[in-house]
Amino acid sequence: MTKWGMVIDLEKCTGCQACTAACQMENTRMPGEVWQDVIFYTEGTYPSATLSWLPRPCMHCEEPSCMHVCPTKATYKTGDGLVLVDWNRCIGCKYCMIACPYGVRFYSGERAEIQPDVRTVYPGEGDKVWSPPFQMPADKQDRSRGVGVAPANVVTKCTFCSHRISKAPKDASDLSGDNPATRESTPACVLTCPPTARYFGNLDDPNSEVSRLIAQKKGSRLLDHLGNRPQVYYVTGEGGSVPNVGSSRKA
Amino acid sequence: MNTTTNTASASNGMLAVGGIGLIVSLGIVLMKLMSEGHSAFATTANIPWGLPISTYLFFVLASTGLTFVAALSMVFGIKGFYPIAKRSVWLAIITLIAGFAALGLEIGHPFRMIWTFPAGMQFRSPMFWMGVFYTADLVLLLFKFQKMNADDWDSGASRQLGVASFVAVVLAQGTLGSVFGMMAMRPFWYDGLVPVFFLVTAALSGAAFVVLFIQIAYRGNTDSMPLDVKALMTGAMPKVFAAVLGVYLVFTIARTATGLWSNLEGNEVFRVMYGSMLFHFEFWIGLVVPFFILINGNLRNQATMQILASALVILALFIGRYEFVIMGQMVPMFKGQWTPGLASYMPGLAEWMLVVLAVSITLFLYALGARMFDLSGKPKS
Repeated sequence: MTKWGMVIDLEKCTGCQACTAACQMENTRMPGEVWQDVIFYTEGTYPSATLSWLPRPCMHCEEPSCMHVCPTKATYKTGDGLVLVDWNRCIGCKYCMIACPYGVRFYSGERAEIQPDVRTVYPGEGDKVWSPPFQMPADKQDRSRGVGVAPANVVTKCTFCSHRISKAPKDASDLSGDNPATRESTPACVLTCPPTARYFGNLDDPNSEVSRLIAQKKGSRLLDHLGNRPQVYYVTGEGGSVPNVGSSRKA
Repeated sequence: MNTTTNTASASNGMLAVGGIGLIVSLGIVLMKLMSEGHSAFATTANIPWGLPISTYLFFVLASTGLTFVAALSMVFGIKGFYPIAKRSVWLAIITLIAGFAALGLEIGHPFRMIWTFPAGMQFRSPMFWMGVFYTADLVLLLFKFQKMNADDWDSGASRQLGVASFVAVVLAQGTLGSVFGMMAMRPFWYDGLVPVFFLVTAALSGAAFVVLFIQIAYRGNTDSMPLDVKALMTGAMPKVFAAVLGVYLVFTIARTATGLWSNLEGNEVFRVMYGSMLFHFEFWIGLVVPFFILINGNLRNQATMQILASALVILALFIGRYEFVIMGQMVPMFKGQWTPGLASYMPGLAEWMLVVLAVSITLFLYALGARMFDLSGKPKS
């Protein structure tokens, strides 16, 4: 059985945001609709200020609260562990956005954060929310899996590049750009990461690289106390970027 | 004769105001939605639920409370409340419709609910159950009103409809409370007692609405009321209103004090709420002042004081719903420097027009109901 998961090594991550750019291009996301964000945190004041960062994709939780709250089962979990949105069923109630503790969901009808609004610059054909000149090939787009250009007024999120990993060789436990056999099926953010801080593979296989890293480097998950049990693990070492994620908020 | 004329002209005025408000607000909302899509609303990824959702909450909880008021006679057999039962049921129906209208225009694909809810059967989602129970509530209330309108108050079917609508609405408001209360990732909401809190706040809405609309129906003239209505409005009704308001005040104080005391990450918004003028207006003017009016034996029986108290409470509840919905989302989820403080939200024209629309629907349908039906109908014996 395959359960896809990701390991992000914060000691190697430079915060360059190449993963963000790759994800945007691969998945034809709009500006501001950042499925794969790198979030920066500042703490302290000059000359003792520190800057840290946290790459944050969808966690594809084992117990996804977004899925449990969805009143129409538009959000669902696949047999290989992905949390996806069926855009044909999504009513746009945004309850999943409320229930996701990691803030990884976006509404395609949302007011544009960045002007000009690309939806007016590249108006959507049919019921598409926009139609940019370069977009994911039509044969890869799949609304039932939330892949490709979204229709208006639905919720979108990272799919772990479902359209890529679904082409993975059978029995492959590690998807990596280093291996020519799995290169084309590796998620875009993993493939593009310059310092190779990201690893992608089968969490159910104890011999996969992700499983070994989690064991050897004591992988941890974000907000584990909430019980969502993310399938994205973070590992680090001395000098790794480990932000105190609550510290920047002041009432 | 004079009273009848006055009541009719009041009804005409309300019909006109409601009708014009409905056409204008619906026109503006539809125009904005057609030209800008859902980006006409000022909601963001940080604050996905805005004023339309709090408006929905306000109206459906008012409907719930009005069903509670009707249930005092229909379910619990307190005969003194029969003279206001029919008006309460009609108000419950129309406020529910007003709430549904606000929600229907806010969500992305409302018509998909028709097939995705039954096809999905997502038992784990409180929103699924909320939809099921409020829909059942609306249908049962419509049937119950039809029975009342046909002077069938006491047949087995009529009684069962009354009980069923009460049960449906208790479950509906409970699941609505759970929509918020089950969100462990949002400490401002996370509380197993939210459905109980909603029970109290709904009851308060119901009491305030029924008092206001009865006073409107009789143009604030207690002497023009039938004797049984007058006895109720100068006896049990304001006392029930005062009691429920008292319980609501206890809930509000306990919840606010706990939130202010707690250092839990996410509860800092209680301090923001406490620091806002809106909260103090809501608390002191909208709740405390009406409470003192209502616990005073002389003041609570005066029509003008009842109108003032109910109007202030309704305003306070509207503000309270807004605070509850928005502040629960102000702590951004993993946004770091991208949203360094708390998330902010300021409703725009489209949102405010949805509020006007819901209010207009209530006024228009109430006036229409007052024309078409005898809302002061009661059992013959």
